[in-house]
Amino acid sequence: MLKMHNIRKSYRTDTIETHALRDFSLQVNEGEFVSVTGPSGSGKTTFLNIAGLLETPTGGQYLLDGEDVSSLNDRDRSRLRNEKIGFIFQGFNLIPDLNLFDNIDVPLRYRGFNAKERKKRIEKVLEQVGLSARAKHLPAQLSGGQQQRVAIARALAGEPRFLLADEPTGNLDSLMARQVMELLEFINEWGTTIVMVTHDPDLARRAHRNIQIVDGQVSDLQHGTVGAAREIA
Amino acid sequence: MFELKPMLSALWRNKISALLIALQLALTLAIVSNATVIVQDRLEKIARPTGIAVSDIISVTFMPVPVNYDMASAVAADLELLRNMPGVMDATVTNQIPLSGSGSASTYFTEPNQEIGGENANYYQTDEHFIDTLGLNLVAGRNFTRADFDVIGPNDTYEPRVAIITQKFADVMFPGEDAVGKFFYSGGDGKPREIIGVVERHLGAWPSWSKAGQVAFYPLLVTGNHKRYLIRTEPGQRDVVYKQIEEKLAERDPQRVIHLDTLSKKMAQSYVSDNVMVKVLSAVMTLLTFIVALGIIGLTIFWINQRSKQIGVRRALGATRANISRYFLVENTLIAGTGLVIGMAAAQVINHFMVNQFSQPALSMATLLICAAILLSVSVTAALAPAIRAANISPAMATRSV
Ligand SMILES: Nc1ncnc2c1ncn2[C@@H]1O[C@H](COP(=O)(O)OP(=O)(O)O)[C@@H](O)[C@H]1O
Ligand SMILES: [Mg+2]
Repeated sequence: MLKMHNIRKSYRTDTIETHALRDFSLQVNEGEFVSVTGPSGSGKTTFLNIAGLLETPTGGQYLLDGEDVSSLNDRDRSRLRNEKIGFIFQGFNLIPDLNLFDNIDVPLRYRGFNAKERKKRIEKVLEQVGLSARAKHLPAQLSGGQQQRVAIARALAGEPRFLLADEPTGNLDSLMARQVMELLEFINEWGTTIVMVTHDPDLARRAHRNIQIVDGQVSDLQHGTVGAAREIA
Repeated sequence: MFELKPMLSALWRNKISALLIALQLALTLAIVSNATVIVQDRLEKIARPTGIAVSDIISVTFMPVPVNYDMASAVAADLELLRNMPGVMDATVTNQIPLSGSGSASTYFTEPNQEIGGENANYYQTDEHFIDTLGLNLVAGRNFTRADFDVIGPNDTYEPRVAIITQKFADVMFPGEDAVGKFFYSGGDGKPREIIGVVERHLGAWPSWSKAGQVAFYPLLVTGNHKRYLIRTEPGQRDVVYKQIEEKLAERDPQRVIHLDTLSKKMAQSYVSDNVMVKVLSAVMTLLTFIVALGIIGLTIFWINQRSKQIGVRRALGATRANISRYFLVENTLIAGTGLVIGMAAAQVINHFMVNQFSQPALSMATLLICAAILLSVSVTAALAPAIRAANISPAMATRSV
């Protein structure tokens, strides 16, 4: 599903160059639920951004679904994000001016679906996250947990193969966090590959496999029998 | 694909700032379109054909100093001298300089001894060279001859015999008829003047006068205090001849005060207030348009900064750069469109008032639509740079900022 080989990512500012990822190699298989942990600033978000085509690596090779995506242009990357990848963010990132229905509609419009198809999908995912009755509400009228469920619905509406979550429970209390985790596990059971960055060791343990990133590199492999990264290396 | 419905609901939640910009555009359109009407009107007035070869003509005014000055001989000698100068096509004597803002007018009738009714016309006392010197176009009848020409003293009464008039004056005096051979009368004297010729056009002394273009010419020299000459030069020779005229006239008779001007300058002086009006209104229009453009740039930048996170999220969810730019351009067009529709209504209300209260010309739909189209393109242009910049916001904004 996802195969990174010797990925490097450095950020250059006027004064310093930060190596956010160095010789980063990793493989995630179809249907896996991988959790990513590591200290703050270690490169977790950078990894997720590259995996989700939000940023381009400085060097190395990245195959998504067998396709080398390192050299794609911006337009094709946008299309791939839209069709194959779902994002869930720590801050939910719902568009505050749009109601739940219109929020979930955003990626579907970029996809070019007709109104009927979009409505069908939106109603379906709203039902899945248990918020059908709130379709016309604005994000601000919902609790954090509910907002994150809408964000998950928005990520799911395009039926992505690959779901990326950056600390999806970071802003939620433990009860809401557990609900969101259960929803993700449910989604994974239905076949969506998930990579989730988290600080919560309990949640991290519930994934099939945990990857720890330290100082821009994969440092430790748990749960997984044979480390995919080591395989490539 | 234009996301109109969600865009409108998002706009609705930011309606105050959207409305303020829309109203600013509305006001700008209302003012600019009405100012355009006035500017157009003035420009048309300035550009009106004068019928006169303005750019090739020099005017001379002279004041004799001696008491018993022989004006008739002096004029004859001067004209002889002027007409024989190289670069000069022709020269004529006149009581007033056309287009200069000073002149004489009288009320004329088609019947003798009338007091009410009648038509106003500007009149000139000149000679048989006036048609060629001014470059007028004789469309009917004949020019004056030497035999028609009279010389009288300042206290003599004029026994008019013949006149040449403009087509415009002919049309008001004898509508639908051939004026040549007809007679007309001044209110005071009851003496018939026969119309022997008609010239196509001569705007007269006062371009702003409502009867400008109604002019009569008499073959007459009244020996008085000061006289004027008009000199037509070969095309392009005006400025060269100008200096020589001054010298030659002074040389022939040093005992007088001579003043030269170009007719172009005289005419420009008559249009000073129109030109000032055009300049002031143009400046106001430019300024208003500039301010509204700045407002749009400011608001677009503000909204884009405010929504930079949202832009990142949209990019992460699959929006292309083009999707993002288009979003802001369409949003801008919606706001501008609303403003301009309000502005079109306001412009017509204001124009209605201007027509009724200040008898300004009416605002045509074409002018209004052109002004609206210009402001719409100004608005889109103003939003363009920020909208393109918005498309450069990285999709990583979605995960990087809190
Ligand atoms: N846009 C950027 N410019 C410069 N440095 C950055 C940028 N984004 C991330 N970094 C740096 O890269 C390193 C990794 O960051 P990040 O991937 O966000 O870490 P994590 O998500 O594990 O906290 C950090 O040192 C961070 O300061
Ligand atoms: Mg992070």
